[in-house]
Amino acid sequence: MAGASGSTTWVIIPAFNEAAVVAEVIGRVREAYPNLVVVDDGSTDCTDAVAHAAGATVLRHEVNLGQGAALETGIRYALGRGAQRVVTFDADGQHRVEDIAVLERRQRESGADVIIGCRFLGACPGLPFCRRWVLRLAVLFTWLTAGVKLSDAHNGLRLFTRRAAERIRIRQCGMAHASELVGQAHDHGLTIAEAPVTILYTAYSLGKGQRLGNAFRIVADLLLARLAR
Amino acid sequence: MIIQALHIFGLLGALAYAFVQPRRSRLASRIIMWAAVLGIYLVVLPKHAAILGEALGVDCGADLVLYCWILIVLVLLMNVGLKILGLETAIATLTRELALRAPQRRAGNGDDWKGA
Repeated sequence: MAGASGSTTWVIIPAFNEAAVVAEVIGRVREAYPNLVVVDDGSTDCTDAVAHAAGATVLRHEVNLGQGAALETGIRYALGRGAQRVVTFDADGQHRVEDIAVLERRQRESGADVIIGCRFLGACPGLPFCRRWVLRLAVLFTWLTAGVKLSDAHNGLRLFTRRAAERIRIRQCGMAHASELVGQAHDHGLTIAEAPVTILYTAYSLGKGQRLGNAFRIVADLLLARLAR
Repeated sequence: MIIQALHIFGLLGALAYAFVQPRRSRLASRIIMWAAVLGIYLVVLPKHAAILGEALGVDCGADLVLYCWILIVLVLLMNVGLKILGLETAIATLTRELALRAPQRRAGNGDDWKGA
């Protein structure tokens, strides 16, 4: 079953307290990709109402779980609606809609199951020095733990083929999902490729982005999950 | 003698916990088990503890018992973390199920209803 427009690409937008920007993001995405679902992750600022008014299908988590959990919910929904490709797209306005086409083109050319956007192959004007190094460490960490060498391991703009989305189960509720899904893709024998994308840093997105403290939490979450195996 | 009995009692409790607790982590159970066995051995045979302590560069053999306890407590803390992780996973599953059952669908996309 395909989406209403006949397009088989679904865009998943996880959102937590993004009422200020989510309508604009939805408006931009909907012009090119009518099949989009916003997963409101327990927001307290009427993000769900704003997203719904902007024309998105909204799934609401009654409690805040984290971006990983929101993505998993959105992916399950999209698969149930017949999605052949699933794109994850941040709600804070730092991704460009035209980069989704870049991911799709890269997927068609490479035949890879998972395409991960890479800001270091594309552009990331305004990326703070400290955050650049946190991202470099994340790349190193993902390489050591998942065995996959990427240029940008924690980019929210990704594309999964249906085959990949069906196999990958995001269990990490928080930001550790970025490393987890790369590891799972590797474990399932799925192919991963990168595509150049542009990240637009604004005062808003920088305020919402990851901090150094999150890096320690990601490491702790992944270690704990590994011990639980 | 009373302190020895208390240590042994406590370490036997830790040993029993390692066997009885649901195996959230095999590694955690094994660490608790071996630390408890080592602790009991060191408490029952303090002369061995002194020799071992000297060999390991610890002045007092009794300190080794303390280290065993610290190890056990750390692993127990980790086990609590695993229990919380399990609960988080259950909450996430439940929340996801509720969200998927009541999507607020946009009008005009072929869906015949707008939920919740």
